Amino acid sequence: MRTALEQAVQLVLSGDYQLINIISVTLQMSIPSSVISLILGVPLGVLLAFCSFRGKGALVILNRTLMGLPPVVCGLLCYMLFSGVGPFRHFRLMYTIPLMIIAQVILITPIVIGNMESFAQRITPAVRETARGLGLGRGRTFLLLVSETRYQVFSTYLLGFARSIAEVGAVSMVGGAIAYKTNVMTTAIMNYTNRGDFTLGVALGVILLAMSLVLNLTVSLIQGRLSR
Amino acid sequence: MIIRPFTKSYGGAPVLDFPGASLPEGEVCAVIGANGSGKSTLARIVAGAMASDQGRPVLEQAGPVGYLPQRPYPFQMTVEGNLLLNAPGGRADARRRAAELMEQLEIAHLARKKAHHLSGGETARMALARLLMRRYALLILDEPTAAMDIRSTSLTEALVDRYRRETGCAVLWITHSLKQAQRTADTVLFLLRGRLAEAGPMTRLLSAPTTPELRQFLDFYGA
Ligand SMILES: Nc1ncnc2c1ncn2[C@@H]1O[C@H](COP(=O)(O)OP(=O)(O)OP(=O)(O)O)[C@@H](O)[C@H]1O
Ligand SMILES: [Mg+2]
Repeated sequence: MRTALEQAVQLVLSGDYQLINIISVTLQMSIPSSVISLILGVPLGVLLAFCSFRGKGALVILNRTLMGLPPVVCGLLCYMLFSGVGPFRHFRLMYTIPLMIIAQVILITPIVIGNMESFAQRITPAVRETARGLGLGRGRTFLLLVSETRYQVFSTYLLGFARSIAEVGAVSMVGGAIAYKTNVMTTAIMNYTNRGDFTLGVALGVILLAMSLVLNLTVSLIQGRLSR
Repeated sequence: MIIRPFTKSYGGAPVLDFPGASLPEGEVCAVIGANGSGKSTLARIVAGAMASDQGRPVLEQAGPVGYLPQRPYPFQMTVEGNLLLNAPGGRADARRRAAELMEQLEIAHLARKKAHHLSGGETARMALARLLMRRYALLILDEPTAAMDIRSTSLTEALVDRYRRETGCAVLWITHSLKQAQRTADTVLFLLRGRLAEAGPMTRLLSAPTTPELRQFLDFYGA
């Protein structure tokens, strides 16, 4: 353990090219995929809480099911769509970061939707009743509801990012863990472990945790600033 | 202004069977009744915030309706921001109106405070000020002073009275307090377990209640 920690620190300090590349690929995947999922999922989740229509219950259950979609199944789906025999093969996205992002967006968006929906549906009746009492229209009321969920967006983003950075099943299937191209922290840890290189694996794990810590600290700092 | 007859049930259980009523312009109609007698249900349905069993609107419409829910929602912005949410017309006019209302309810010092940090009585005053930013033909107030102290209560009664005189609106005022009903209302609706047990001018109802239930209610609540 001690040597792993030492090695982690050494790795970072030495500016090892391969390590820098793994971190960079990880961020190139995780930041876009979590941000895109947030942009798609927040309005959809709040809208789902706001609207009432036939089949809404079924839609909520469907989304909850998708929240539990096993990453390897998502990877398999993307593989079938984008590989040499799939309908989307002309996009030539197999084993690239963009396809890893697509797979993660499929995995993370339902989580964002579900998280926002379950928060928004708790305050929707009160917001709606008050807005109605003031004579505000549907559009204004929806925008107010979105604005009332704004602090929830931060914790939802962290959840999405955490899922993204920790995910291995889908990204290894569609990314292939190609060194200097699609190898991310998690797939690298798997590779080192398979090679019996435990210390390097643990070192990467420590760095992964540190990155997560830094992001969490940053977001809660921003959140604290804004909510004052 | 006419409220048509309607009924309301929650999940099959009937809670309100309302035979209709008329609310004269410029008058205050108090709704009294025990907990769970259906006062808030009546307010919500008349305000159009909830559908009756019949589905159609119950008001024979004559202009905009303002409604203060029993538990108004403070939007997560400043008190002034909450008031300006409900501002028709120009920004400068709205600011002046907001300042005036906050002054009258003695919450001017809270203008820059976040509305979700207010105390119960402060929230109630903010919500009333927010509502009165606009002109309505009918004002529905669901226990606006339930969380207020005596001073805030009297400020509220004075403000609503002034608003009514200035706009000529009808007011449907739900209250637990018979004393308050006596001070503010011209007519009374007495709800008893989801039924309209008595309705009529305030003075007549107080001096000569016809149902034993109302007599009991009056005795108990000390009119
Ligand atoms: N959403 C709901 N679902 C089921 N029952 C409800 C619902 N809302 C109200 N009720 C029931 O309907 C009855 C009337 O409720 P209402 O809120 O109108 O009473 P109220 O006269 O306003 O009481 P209070 O003085 O406590 O405010 C109560 O018995 C209550 O339990
Ligand atoms: Mg009530």
